[in-house]
Amino acid sequence: MRQPDNLFSARALRLIAAAIVVVNGFFPAVWILLTSLKTEAELVRKPITWLPHELVLNNYVQAFTDQPLLKYLGNSLVVALVSTAVSLVVAALAAYAIARLNLRHRQLVLTCIVASSMFPLVTLLVPIFETMRHLSLLNTYTALVLPYTVLSLPVCTLVLVSFFQSIPKDLENAAMIDGCTRLGALWRVVVPLAAPGVFTAGILAFVNAWDEFLLALSLNASASMRTLPVGISLYQGEFTFPWPVISAALVVAIVPIAVLIALFQERVVGGLTQGGLKG
Amino acid sequence: MNALDRLRDPSDRTLAVLMLAPAFLLLALIVVYPIGRLLWNSFFDLRLSGGGEARFIGFENYLLVLTDKDFWNATRNTVLITLITVPGALVVGLALALLANLPFRRQWPVRLALLLPWALPLAFAGLIFAWFFHSEYGVVNDLARRLGGSAPRMWLLEPAFAFAAICLTIIWKTSSFMALILLAGLQMIPKSLYEAAEVDGASRWQQFWQITIPMLMPSIIVALIFRTITALQTFDIPYTMTKGGPGNATETLAMLIHKTTIDYLDVGYGSTLAVFMFLLSLVVTGFYLRRIGRNA
Repeated sequence: MRQPDNLFSARALRLIAAAIVVVNGFFPAVWILLTSLKTEAELVRKPITWLPHELVLNNYVQAFTDQPLLKYLGNSLVVALVSTAVSLVVAALAAYAIARLNLRHRQLVLTCIVASSMFPLVTLLVPIFETMRHLSLLNTYTALVLPYTVLSLPVCTLVLVSFFQSIPKDLENAAMIDGCTRLGALWRVVVPLAAPGVFTAGILAFVNAWDEFLLALSLNASASMRTLPVGISLYQGEFTFPWPVISAALVVAIVPIAVLIALFQERVVGGLTQGGLKG
Repeated sequence: MNALDRLRDPSDRTLAVLMLAPAFLLLALIVVYPIGRLLWNSFFDLRLSGGGEARFIGFENYLLVLTDKDFWNATRNTVLITLITVPGALVVGLALALLANLPFRRQWPVRLALLLPWALPLAFAGLIFAWFFHSEYGVVNDLARRLGGSAPRMWLLEPAFAFAAICLTIIWKTSSFMALILLAGLQMIPKSLYEAAEVDGASRWQQFWQITIPMLMPSIIVALIFRTITALQTFDIPYTMTKGGPGNATETLAMLIHKTTIDYLDVGYGSTLAVFMFLLSLVVTGFYLRRIGRNA
């Protein structure tokens, strides 16, 4: 229905639209990258410069030496990976039972698991802190892995239930006729076929754990146990704010997650819309 | 069947219970028990710093909360942040989704631009935007100066402006999640609806209000519910941007609970504050669930 002379303007409109979305999404990260490459002297120049006049990498060196950034990175990785693995195992078991087994009240069971994400984590902070303190788990990986697993349980279960339901039951039955036990069939047939779903749920769980701040700040406050968000928020002194160094640390912390979502965009979007969770 | 066989190939019912057990054990430990504990604690004078025994004081904490100026200030801030940033993120997210839904030859830059803010930790968004709003070296004041030559604002040092800066940051950070959910909803609307409307002579504007918005309603409601629940928990962004300041102009309920419990180790009173917050989110989710019930 479009007129030929509209073609150009339609294309221009699309480009403007793309530019708005891309600038909105990327500008903060790009600005931090630019800041991390500026010298301290350039940073306090007025009026401020947008592009660095000379590129320096010194801020990155300082980011690693001023604070144990590598340690923070390691802590975040361990906590995120372990809690992702545990969430996936726990959620996969529950999702299989809900999707496949002869279970009464399956809807109620699923609702119970999903409803747990409705409780504000902040209100549970006090008793979780108390429990971890009693169990002498403050400043350990376990103190974060347990709540993070629960944090991701609803979305992982939702994504996996819909994946399990999409796998034909006959495949499993065939395996069982061929002599597999029910669990054997689950392990050899269902899990490989559900791999894309497991992967999607895994990314969502990883991002949840990688981003969490309040529990990490409250439960693992000691320097050697801090995760990235907590560690980086503590670069500021009482009166000082070493922006170039903070920016460098932020770039180091943002790159892994940015690469992860860039590589697996479609999976992440699919998982988000299936699970429809978390802001 | 002997016991070993049964272990290797259990009945459906047994298997279901075994498979659900880990999830429910974890939920019991991290959600159910803490809720019970929270209620229990709220009736005690329980300070971990003093080393004294917990003392049962009935509803004293609750009465104290009701007359606590800090509590009302934090509640007001939390409710205001929710009322401003949830509709704000919806409007910005809808605009982003409509823009991102245009037929681009390459989809990935646009999709990545929506995913990046979503995946960015809230704490990082707070740090980055604190730098944006820096009164002397921030890019916001620089842009304002270039565009309108207005005098630089001490964004994070004036209560109203610090509050506005925090709301803008939250809207930026959360609108991309809204956009992702709404984009998925947009792509499910059948093209034929728009073609039929075009034949009937409906304008773009009419199509938007008569087709897009009604068809998008389920996605909008899902996005609103989750955004509202997370908005009530706002902590990371004000904590990293202003630490609640200036004064306590940007202190939220979550920050007050954190300060009371973790910094001052006043578990009893902190628990009571958490119970009030719990009630607040219950009222809000109840409101949404009723609306959904009516729509369904």
